[in-house]
Amino acid sequence: MATNGVHGTHIETDILVIGAGAGGLVAALSAKRAAPPATQVTIVDSWKVGRSGHTAFSNAWTVVVAPDDDLESVTKEIIAGNDFIADQPLIHRVLETSWDRLKDLEGIGLQWPRNEDGSYYRRPTRGLKDTRVMYPVGGGLEFSWKLKRGIEDEGVQILDRFFVTGLMKGDGERVTGAVGVQSRTGEFFAITARATIIATNAITFRTGFVRDLTGTGTLLAYRAGAKLRNAEFSYLRPGTPRFYFEGIAFAIQDGASFVNKNDEQFMLSYEPEWGDRADVPRIARAMAMEKQKGNDPLYLDMSRIDPAKRDFYFSSTVAWMQNFLDKLGDEARTDMFGKTPYYPQNQMTKMGLATDADCRSNVPGLYAAGLAQAGCCNHFAGFHIGMCIGTGWFAGEAAVKDLETLPPAKLDAAEAGALYRETMAPRDDGANAESDNWLLEFQRFTARYDIALWKSADRLEAALQTLGGLRERFAELRAPDNHELVRIKESEAMVLAAEIIFRASLMRQESRMSHFREDFDFRDDDNWLAWIDVEDSGSGPVLTKTPIPTPITHPADLT
Amino acid sequence: MIEAIDLDKCTGCGICDEVCPADVIYMEPVAMPDVVDGMHRAKSLPVIKYQQHCVTCFNCELFCPEGIVDVHPSVKNRPRPW
Repeated sequence: MATNGVHGTHIETDILVIGAGAGGLVAALSAKRAAPPATQVTIVDSWKVGRSGHTAFSNAWTVVVAPDDDLESVTKEIIAGNDFIADQPLIHRVLETSWDRLKDLEGIGLQWPRNEDGSYYRRPTRGLKDTRVMYPVGGGLEFSWKLKRGIEDEGVQILDRFFVTGLMKGDGERVTGAVGVQSRTGEFFAITARATIIATNAITFRTGFVRDLTGTGTLLAYRAGAKLRNAEFSYLRPGTPRFYFEGIAFAIQDGASFVNKNDEQFMLSYEPEWGDRADVPRIARAMAMEKQKGNDPLYLDMSRIDPAKRDFYFSSTVAWMQNFLDKLGDEARTDMFGKTPYYPQNQMTKMGLATDADCRSNVPGLYAAGLAQAGCCNHFAGFHIGMCIGTGWFAGEAAVKDLETLPPAKLDAAEAGALYRETMAPRDDGANAESDNWLLEFQRFTARYDIALWKSADRLEAALQTLGGLRERFAELRAPDNHELVRIKESEAMVLAAEIIFRASLMRQESRMSHFREDFDFRDDDNWLAWIDVEDSGSGPVLTKTPIPTPITHPADLT
Repeated sequence: MIEAIDLDKCTGCGICDEVCPADVIYMEPVAMPDVVDGMHRAKSLPVIKYQQHCVTCFNCELFCPEGIVDVHPSVKNRPRPW
């Protein structure tokens, strides 16, 4: 062990991308292509680059605006579909460049299904008129793998199993890279970089029913001085623990309906115009209120679907989903078209880094891409990946542009030592691994529908108190091995995220998009057409309100 | 959740370990007598070390070239909103 108390590996690069989902992979590709020759670009991921992350396990539907589409109309309806919690210029630019990105992805070997006439196969997406989405052959697995192979061929350094635990700032105010542990061996590493792009997905509390991965980068950025926003919004969707199912919109188009314990199709009483075709956050809201009235269990009644159409629901172009359906076999057919309880799930927060329209954060040397970037708050089907691709490209380009003024990053001995000790603090070879029990209790608490979906001031205040107790018990957890250390670090980010989410939810005294307040059950554009920004004061989060510019469209345009 | 790996048919390629996003499977050395003195006989086989942390992504089953990994699609131990 060196005299400064640190022992590990030091890697140097010019641009570091943390996270290898759609945002990170595209950021690495963009940076490498924009950069002068001999620029080093490194991408790290907690697990295997190209085989992990929400992107890899998705259908990879993405919004693409074709040259003949009405870009302005698509932009406006997407912004309105976000209830105006949206960076309008950024979204416009993402959509405007989406056709070019499609061509870039084809260039690295991704194929997109076509119709018989040779045109791309595209579909409308939920609730929008002009927006069209498309998916690559093989879905997210192919998307991620082809991108991995693409960046590998172009010389991006790929480091698997690097779990980041902190960002470095040297002795100044800019981010100079990251530290962490190899997620299998536990070896400490420091990667110095002139530019660092956070693309670690949004935080989840691992409460999704399958493939519940989580990312900690947004909270590490927060601790390094980055401003976060959109914490009060979430990805809400109905789901069932019996099987993973992504076809609710199609099922409803074919006649399925949400019903309560009395077989009543309750959605029309909450959403008279859209009923079951309402956007998923509105369905989640209605389900929460049905539960409050004691009308649960709730079901997605697919028995109304014409038997001739049912086979559609047992096929998927995505390998793991097809595997899932094949293995369930008759059990799936019985459950899916029978009485399977459904729940409104809060799968992940929309909290991400506030950036400019080029994806630069407020901290020099730090950028954000993918769902770690807070460009909008409602990533309806196709817009998750769509925003990831767009912001990834812009973040990569911005990082390269800034290399002209960002000096080389130096590893600071004192900081490396301090971050090493902070990272390894929970390690204790003689301890028991007990974070699973703590996490289950934490999840049961944060998943409660009357905290996560249908909020109120008194319940949120009580939740902050409960969180305090959970935080105290969390501080006592120790890791006998590296596996447990990684779990503890992920849980640490969840605790911080929960506090920020509760405080932001308390502050926003209205209901908008996926943020529902029982005590303020109305949208208030006069007072709340604004972001709630969160920064670390050193002794807790500080929340401020930032009015949202509306250069492209305003709520008044819709009246 | 991952249920079993048929080790009798495993070639020790390590892909299941490599593609797992939850650190569940570990390739671990198998104790075997050396054939030639001084020549350590090396072989590793997968161990399902942290089954409770499986996220049911199916990577191990999908990418196993021998088709010997069994992942059950049911999800266990996830909290409900009520």
